[in-house]
Amino acid sequence: MTRLITLIFSLLTVTHLHANNSWEEITNKADGQTVYFHAWGGSQEINNYLRWANSQLQQQHGVTLKHVKVTDIAETTARLIAEKAAGKNSGGSVDMVWINGENFKSMKSNKLLFGPFVDQLPSWQYVDQSLPVDSDFSVPTDGLEAPWGVGQLVFIHDTQKLNNPPASFSELLSYAKAYPNRITYPKPPAFHGTSFLKALLIELTNNDETLSQPTEKVDFQLITAPLWKYLDELHTVAWRKGTQFPSGSAETLQLLDDGQLDLAITFNPNAVFSAQENGTLADSTVAYAMDTGALSNIHFLAIPWNASASEGAQVAINFLLSPEAQSRKGDLKIWGDPSVLQNQYLTGTAKNTQLFKSIAEPHPSWQVALETEWQKRYGN
Amino acid sequence: MFRATYLLLICIVIIPTLPGIIGVMLSSFSYIPPVGLDSLSLQGYADVLNWPGISTSSLLTLFTALTSTYLALTICFAILQNLWRNKHWKRVELVLSPLLAVPHVAFAIGFAFLFAPTGLTTRVISTLFGVEFDDISTSWLVHDPYAIGLTLALALKEVPFLLLMSIPILQQLEIEKLSKVGSSLGYSPSQLWIKVVLPQWLAKMRFPLFAVVAYASSVVDFALILGPNTPPTLAMLVWQWFNDPDLQLLPRAASGAILLFILTSFLLLLVLLIEKFATHYFKRWQYSGRAGISLPGASFFGIITLLSIAIFPLMLIWSYAQRWRFPDIMPSRFSDRFWESEWPSFLPIISQSIAIALITAMVTLCLAVLAHEYRIKNKLHIPGYVVAIPMLIPQLSILFGLQIATLYVSSESYYLWVIWSHIFFAFPFVYLSLDGPWKSYNQNYTRAALSLGKSPLQAFFMVKSRLLLPSILYAWAIGASVSLAQYLPTLILGGGRIATVTTEAVALSSGFDRRVTAIYALWQALLPFVFFTTAILASRLQHKARVKPAIYQESVPNDATSRKPRHP
Repeated sequence: MTRLITLIFSLLTVTHLHANNSWEEITNKADGQTVYFHAWGGSQEINNYLRWANSQLQQQHGVTLKHVKVTDIAETTARLIAEKAAGKNSGGSVDMVWINGENFKSMKSNKLLFGPFVDQLPSWQYVDQSLPVDSDFSVPTDGLEAPWGVGQLVFIHDTQKLNNPPASFSELLSYAKAYPNRITYPKPPAFHGTSFLKALLIELTNNDETLSQPTEKVDFQLITAPLWKYLDELHTVAWRKGTQFPSGSAETLQLLDDGQLDLAITFNPNAVFSAQENGTLADSTVAYAMDTGALSNIHFLAIPWNASASEGAQVAINFLLSPEAQSRKGDLKIWGDPSVLQNQYLTGTAKNTQLFKSIAEPHPSWQVALETEWQKRYGN
Repeated sequence: MFRATYLLLICIVIIPTLPGIIGVMLSSFSYIPPVGLDSLSLQGYADVLNWPGISTSSLLTLFTALTSTYLALTICFAILQNLWRNKHWKRVELVLSPLLAVPHVAFAIGFAFLFAPTGLTTRVISTLFGVEFDDISTSWLVHDPYAIGLTLALALKEVPFLLLMSIPILQQLEIEKLSKVGSSLGYSPSQLWIKVVLPQWLAKMRFPLFAVVAYASSVVDFALILGPNTPPTLAMLVWQWFNDPDLQLLPRAASGAILLFILTSFLLLLVLLIEKFATHYFKRWQYSGRAGISLPGASFFGIITLLSIAIFPLMLIWSYAQRWRFPDIMPSRFSDRFWESEWPSFLPIISQSIAIALITAMVTLCLAVLAHEYRIKNKLHIPGYVVAIPMLIPQLSILFGLQIATLYVSSESYYLWVIWSHIFFAFPFVYLSLDGPWKSYNQNYTRAALSLGKSPLQAFFMVKSRLLLPSILYAWAIGASVSLAQYLPTLILGGGRIATVTTEAVALSSGFDRRVTAIYALWQALLPFVFFTTAILASRLQHKARVKPAIYQESVPNDATSRKPRHP
């Protein structure tokens, strides 16, 4: 009897595995599905790119990709939690999300994600494995999310106004003192603001290895003391005397173009090209990284645990990882987001994108700790 | 039958508040099982109270909400005192609909573009006069630490709404009669307004003021564009907490929402107290002396009109501007690609928005009229404060509970839930906007109709609804415009299946691209504009078509006899 049950069980597991493994079966199931893709909708370039992806997916695989534009993926997380609270473990309303960092960590630890599915995507073979594609802000992805693009924290300056930008954070401080009211950073906990703090801390501590440990295990105040000393000095000469900060990267770009700031901050090293094409930045603007390198991370695509069209979502993700889609995404005139594929598979301008020397993200606990401390010191 | 429909109304617009509030209450006490929080605690509240800057944020909220509301009220009163039914009044009514139609977000964007340190004003002044500004001196209206710009912009934006709410009230107050009495007693017209009209008007404006003050204290998008961010207003802070990726911190966000709710309730109480003090307790000002001040209402109105109207061409230019750099007064490069690439997806979005707004407006109007009629006839009815609850709590906080409830009932009916949520959020506005007119309606007309043998329904449709038609039409337009402005309910309850002009506009504005924002803001303004213009035109037509009904000419004795068919 026990044997029989074991046999049945193992048979079931085998068929289950088989169902999971066969890509052909997935594509068959995906045909005709509609994938609701929740992703930030604030950029016309990205929205246009996703429209193109939809038309290609419809032609090639019979999958419809609907871009649900959100201002912050947290809105979607709220929807997913509500679905979980109501016990809705299948037939959910979200099929695919664009996330990374804290949002991934939180969705993973609350078991809101489908998978692992990444290894079985046919396009996985093209992915550049030398990039840290299997960890997201040092949290292992465990195959629950597929890499989509690379972000590097870089600065933008206008060569006509500032030909020789500060090459380190200490030079940045001297520059700010020489030209008051011209330097600032987005307000933490905005993503770019916290990233600025992290990059600054990494330089000031010479990338102390304790940064890769959880903050509970180290003397946080001791390690961060130089950071707060630096910021105290910077704020006295910063834009609006450090009493107000831009809300995010986009606003620093706007302020750079308005001539209020000398440096803007962004996570897309190719942002200047599409911005120039679009008319939001002058043609003389250039992106650069500090000499120590650029804080780097990867943004990902994931599928909620209760997605109605998880097969369609896998097909869509597989397509977005294909050389065709990645080359177009990396095209400087389309979006310019650096690709996660090996260079040999890329075509067009995407192939020429050179990444800056990269610095890894500190342990994710630093993010919250820095934000809290910053808020205590400067937020009120 | 009447009672049954009222019960239905309660089920649609009142009961759902419960899951919403229970949801946020439980979360605020750290009870959220899906994220592993399943024991009650006060941690959320502790987090809120220990947040550095929480007191400054709360004070900012109190200051902006209260100051902007009373500034708006003062300006509104000044305009009425100056212009009510004089030769310029027609023009005021004419521009009211475009003024009302400008959505808050578009107004904020326009305001920022005019008054930001690199805004058009600075550009014009520095180009024309060659004056160079340093940043500090020009930054006091946008993102200023004391929220002065936010307060001012909110006040200016709310004046048209208060004016609209005043029209039916003043019509019912029969100012002409009052002014005859007043001038015979030797009061100057402006004094008459302050001493006689103001107290009566103020009492009837209670609910519109509630709406304005609640909006000002809980607004997020408007504050994001114009308000300070270090520290931000409480509503912005709560919004930021709700968007925190760490789900374990949800109790903090929910507690913040409760704090905001308490603060808003306190503001409502304050509005009520101010009204009571002004009209009942400290009323010496009402009868001491005959001389007084006249406020420059006409110039106020001129400024508001200019500001709001200037936004339209500005948006239009922005939507075609490819390159428009500071300090240029005009764009240096134009392009129609922003329109071109958005155009194909426009038509379905617009038709969907209009359809939802129409259904919402009709249903909400019927429900609100029903609620008011029931209130008059039955002692046991829903108090106004309960009706106002959906306006007072930050939407994000009650949506969580609502969403779970909708998922239990039926998870696939996206359209149903979106329309229902629009009705739910529009109902308080429509109900409150009908409050003044319904209260100032003279019940004797209905009684007369009933005594002449008409049925209650006939009396309502043939007498009351005709007399109150202007306010009914305005309420309808308000319902439609509230529906058009809903972002979070549409996104969350629609599960991404339903896109409206507003969901697109808000999503795109998060990218700070002024051109794309301008396109959607234009559409966002155009749709309510159509609704408001329809309402105002219709009420004018009706006013003309009505051959001066007898009840408006009580001074002429036996008017009814003159129209009696002659019997030889």
